[in-house]
Amino acid sequence: ERSTTQKAIIRVIPLKVEPIVLEGEFASVAEVTPAEGKLLQSHPLSLCNTSEDEHTESGFITIVKLEQPDRDPNPCLSLANKAKLAGERGARAILFDITDDESAADQLRKPRGLSQPVVLIRGHDAELLMGVVNKNREAHVKIEVKEQPAWPDYD
Amino acid sequence: AEPGAAPSCPAQCHCEEDGIVLSVDCSELGLTAVPTNLSPLTAYLDLSMNNISQLQPSAFRHLRFLEELRLSGNQISSIPGEAFSGLYSLKILMLQNNQLSRIPAEALRDLPNLQSLRLDANLISVVPEQSFEGLLSLRHLWLDDNALTEIPVRALNHLPALQAMTLALNQIWHIPDFAFQNLSSLVVLHLHNNRIQSLGANGFDGLHNLETLDLNYNELLEFPGAIRTLGRLQELGFHNNNIKAIPENAFVGNPLLQTIHFYDNPIQFVGQSAFQYLPKLHTLSLNGATDIREFPDLKGTTSLEVLTLTRAGIHLLPRGMCQQLPSLRVLELSHNKIEDLPSFHRCQRLEELGLQHNRIHEIRADTFVQLLALRSIDLSWNAIHFIHPNAFVTLHSLTKLDLTDNQLATLPLDGLGGLTHLKLQGNPALAEPFAKESFPKMRVLEVPYAYQCCAYGSCSGFFKVSNQWEAEDMSPEDEDLHKRTLEFFPGHADNHYDLDADDLQLDLEESKLHPTIQCSPSPGPFKPCDHLFESW
Amino acid sequence: VHPNVSQGCQGGCATCSDYNGCLSCKPRLFFVLERIGMKQIGVCLSSCPSGYYGTRYPDINKCAKCKADCDTCFTRNFCTKCKSGFYLHSGKCLEKCPDGLEANNHTMECTSIVH
Repeated sequence: ERSTTQKAIIRVIPLKVEPIVLEGEFASVAEVTPAEGKLLQSHPLSLCNTSEDEHTESGFITIVKLEQPDRDPNPCLSLANKAKLAGERGARAILFDITDDESAADQLRKPRGLSQPVVLIRGHDAELLMGVVNKNREAHVKIEVKEQPAWPDYD
Repeated sequence: AEPGAAPSCPAQCHCEEDGIVLSVDCSELGLTAVPTNLSPLTAYLDLSMNNISQLQPSAFRHLRFLEELRLSGNQISSIPGEAFSGLYSLKILMLQNNQLSRIPAEALRDLPNLQSLRLDANLISVVPEQSFEGLLSLRHLWLDDNALTEIPVRALNHLPALQAMTLALNQIWHIPDFAFQNLSSLVVLHLHNNRIQSLGANGFDGLHNLETLDLNYNELLEFPGAIRTLGRLQELGFHNNNIKAIPENAFVGNPLLQTIHFYDNPIQFVGQSAFQYLPKLHTLSLNGATDIREFPDLKGTTSLEVLTLTRAGIHLLPRGMCQQLPSLRVLELSHNKIEDLPSFHRCQRLEELGLQHNRIHEIRADTFVQLLALRSIDLSWNAIHFIHPNAFVTLHSLTKLDLTDNQLATLPLDGLGGLTHLKLQGNPALAEPFAKESFPKMRVLEVPYAYQCCAYGSCSGFFKVSNQWEAEDMSPEDEDLHKRTLEFFPGHADNHYDLDADDLQLDLEESKLHPTIQCSPSPGPFKPCDHLFESW
Repeated sequence: VHPNVSQGCQGGCATCSDYNGCLSCKPRLFFVLERIGMKQIGVCLSSCPSGYYGTRYPDINKCAKCKADCDTCFTRNFCTKCKSGFYLHSGKCLEKCPDGLEANNHTMECTSIVH
């Protein structure tokens, strides 16, 4: 049985600028469900039990740019628990840019039933998204479940 | 300052007036010496993160109004006796992150108003007896991240006003009796990340006002009994040590304790009465204490909200447990040997209950009765063969139920209408199909057989219409909602539209999109929706 | 772009990257997270900014927030200077001084009553 990941459509709507549409994939650590909210970047080290969440507003969508694994040899929490913590701190969804850390996809494959969706993004799509972050211009994000064929086409 | 030099803002520094006094920031300028033409009205002077290795004698003599002096992040290895003379108004002195190997006792002799002294992150291994003699107003002392091998007992005898001190990140290995006997005003004492192995029975005598004691990350072999004299202690930490037992009456001298952190100790034994009469304690976590056979007596510990007692040898829960714990919200008892459950009905505020990996065999009608706040129950990995039909009836807040790997043949559905997560895998005799209407809010469902997922159309995502078999499955309302949603998202990623963010927001809320239901194992060509196996 | 040389990296970083700023600090410096609009970057300082306190650990030195009513603190539960409108007493910020003490409006502290 071919494992099929559920694709996600990510619509990024910077205020007063042309929206961009990207693609990612839902990680099965969390539920596959649409979400939307204001885009906020989180430093990988901000998702630790000992770090505080200075952001009080909830209802945002957080983007975390993961660094190469060797640059954070002993992470404070697993990626699944970082996603859980982000949800507990008010994130409606968590986007992980895994361009530099493909191992993240495996770490986030085991179902944990997290309520807030976790979406992995990489490569050119991730570059475009981080470009919006770097310009530090407020943006609204919508994550949708991309349609999938009824039965995977077994020949 | 040199005679005649007009007092002004030293070159490259940034000066700001604050009434008649001046704030001068000369940080990170690569300076190798203290600027000479500092205004006598300077109240705040930041010389941090420069390359200053020596302080000239009387460099600050004319700064009578100076209240805060920052010299952190330089290369100062010693300080002449008169360096700080004349600083009668000085309250805050920052010398952290330098190269000092001993306390500059002479230089600190005449600072009558000093309240905060930072000496952390130096190389200090010597603390002369008279180091702090002149500091009668000192309240806050940082000596962490240095090279101390013992508590500087004699030097600490001259600090009557000291309220907070850290000696963390040193190489201290022992706390002698009466080490802090004159520190009657001390409220906070940090000793974490040392090598403390032993502690005198009277090690903490004299600390009448201590509220926070941090002994984490040391090498203590025994429970720190010396804490019994700390009558006002509120926060205690001794996690990451080598302590094997918590004795009876361990905290009898500390009735005000609110938090105790002692995880990551090889604790095997805990006195039955160890945690009694702690009316302010709200969290108690005990993991892996295999010698614990009985549930602890928590008489008088009435504010406990979170109790974690896992991987021990508990086989029975006392009937009166909930009477002792009226505020309990989270009870985590996984990995014990519990066979029979009492009624939890007096645990009225219980929200989360973890009983996985025990030996429970049945759930009675009164087990969870009237637990109106209970949201999550984990009963996985037990031996449950019977659940009373009314077991869940009163659980109006229940959203998560995990019964993985038990011996169920049937599941009573009364009271489970609010579930969003239900796990039933590993119950081979549980073959009944479930109707979608039984769980209207379901989002994650794990069932023993794939055909039990077909009721949830999990063979199709919510947005699909391509297959006639799925279309028939959709109720009229679903179909209408589904069509309107498709118009809204035609499904091609590169579609562009110029709606303003607010318009998009409103449309999405109106359409009330349903998330897809994750049901597993999901049917496929090799796991058909008809239970073929039974008909063969 | 070489990860160590970028606009996100400043003097105190030991390792850093464009998007996240400092990932780790040079010895003895404190790591603090700074939010600037949508972005959040790591910064390394010799002492924590106002409103934060530092805790040193073997692998990292971290800044964390004081309580809302406190300007500078030793730990989260022990304030050393309260925000305006509060009186400091034994590490606590109080709106009113306890019985037996009087409010000193110059130092904004509770002090013993001098007869």
